[in-house]
Amino acid sequence: MEDIGNLFHGFAVVVQPFNLVLMVVGIVLGVIVGVLPGLGGANGVAILLPLTFSMSPTSAIIMLSCIYWGALFGGAITSILFNIPGEPWSVATTFDGYPMAQNGKAGEALTAAFTSSFVGALFAVIIITLVAPLVASFALRFGPPEIFSVYFLAFCSFVGLSKEPPFKTVASMMLGFGLGAVGLDQMTGQLRLTFGVEQMLNGFDFLIAVIGLFGIGEILLTMEEGLSFRGKPAALNMKVVLQTWARLPRYWMLYLRSCLIGCWMGISPAGATPASFMSYGIAKRISKNGHLFGTGQIEGVVAPETAAHAAGTSALLPMIALGVPGSPTAAVLLGGLLIWGLQPGPLLLSNRKILCGA
Amino acid sequence: MNETANETGGAGPSHRSVEIGVAGFMALLALIGIYGSLKVGIGWGDEGPRAGFFPFYVSLIVLVSCAVNLLAVRQTSGQKVFAEWGQLRQVVSVLVPTIIYVALVPFLGMYVASALLIVFFMRWFGNYAWHTAVAIAVAVPVLTFLMFEIWFLVPLPKGPLESFLGY
Repeated sequence: MEDIGNLFHGFAVVVQPFNLVLMVVGIVLGVIVGVLPGLGGANGVAILLPLTFSMSPTSAIIMLSCIYWGALFGGAITSILFNIPGEPWSVATTFDGYPMAQNGKAGEALTAAFTSSFVGALFAVIIITLVAPLVASFALRFGPPEIFSVYFLAFCSFVGLSKEPPFKTVASMMLGFGLGAVGLDQMTGQLRLTFGVEQMLNGFDFLIAVIGLFGIGEILLTMEEGLSFRGKPAALNMKVVLQTWARLPRYWMLYLRSCLIGCWMGISPAGATPASFMSYGIAKRISKNGHLFGTGQIEGVVAPETAAHAAGTSALLPMIALGVPGSPTAAVLLGGLLIWGLQPGPLLLSNRKILCGA
Repeated sequence: MNETANETGGAGPSHRSVEIGVAGFMALLALIGIYGSLKVGIGWGDEGPRAGFFPFYVSLIVLVSCAVNLLAVRQTSGQKVFAEWGQLRQVVSVLVPTIIYVALVPFLGMYVASALLIVFFMRWFGNYAWHTAVAIAVAVPVLTFLMFEIWFLVPLPKGPLESFLGY
């Protein structure tokens, strides 16, 4: 009961005019960031993070959650219209979304995409709301050995899930640790790996690492592949939206399956991208029209979008309750929380507000 | 750098040479890490591991992984091209101006340096007209200045122009 009270309190905070404006601004910014190829969700949140330093933590979290969510959706727009996945998890949406646009059904594809994202995210929010208090009380019993084990599991699964040879993943991961070790050692108070350079006292700043690795890396990658931009026109009028909505409930089993896949992948450190591929693959095998996937089946848009958004939203759960980010964008959000001095852990009240913002 | 042409057309450095290069670079970073860790001590101190303990073993693992990757390179094809020279040239043509921009920031301040970068990119890549390029190159830093310095009160690196204007 106390949780529901907190939930309503959270809603009351969110509905304040300033926060509503922030939500709209956040969603618009997020969609813009998601649509632009070369700026993924993690970059967008990283770049816009400093904007929020002057706001109260709650407003900042609301705005960042909306940016995160808007970026998740922006990726679908370019995948369907331009066959350019704006985000890694939108790649699976291009398989059937772009053929649908080519067949003149772009409006349907877009409607299916945003409806599926909404359903996936809503499902994940409900799951988080129900599961979070349990996870939070469990989190209170976490000591250093348990935290070490959780992170160890997360990093081992990175090695396992990655398609690169394991030693490459290990080398990159360890290099990341090494970069993190630069600066003042918290335990002994000694400076390590600074080599006398005084600017290195605080080590490599998190934001710099994220913008350098994600932002500049993506921009250079876009340059390498040439910046070609061909789009398909789409008309999104109410009639198309309503017609598509009428057709979608037929796929409730598909929705349920994709939501579950998404939530599981989001909570474990897999993230939205493997969720979307796995959901697409399973949908292709189970559906009656499986052999037609790739030519423009609406199920081929519903499955990956639902899973990706369920995963994206439920990635917030391990971040909030345990301090372990479930996806790169959640990692940036985690960094933001730490910067404001909020130690992610049993933060039930902040939890509610994030859910409302999301 | 092996230069090989293949069916997809376009020559460029092969996968194998790039793998060797990256492995070598990471091994170098690992060696730096090991050197730095040894300086602060890698053993067990009074109350636990000394400062260099963690980075030492981390760098050691990087070194071993790089060695394994180098051995695996023999399986990598020397024929497949990593990227064509043309593509790499485009990447470098973005990278080098960005590096110059970063080098200029301590001297000119972020806003002036950004203006120069915008003008450069718009003219070279975008082939926009001079007046468009200059207009945007002035407008964006000014707006950014207003937003960060005056609205959010977040100080960014400033240079001689800003001191001249009194900020």
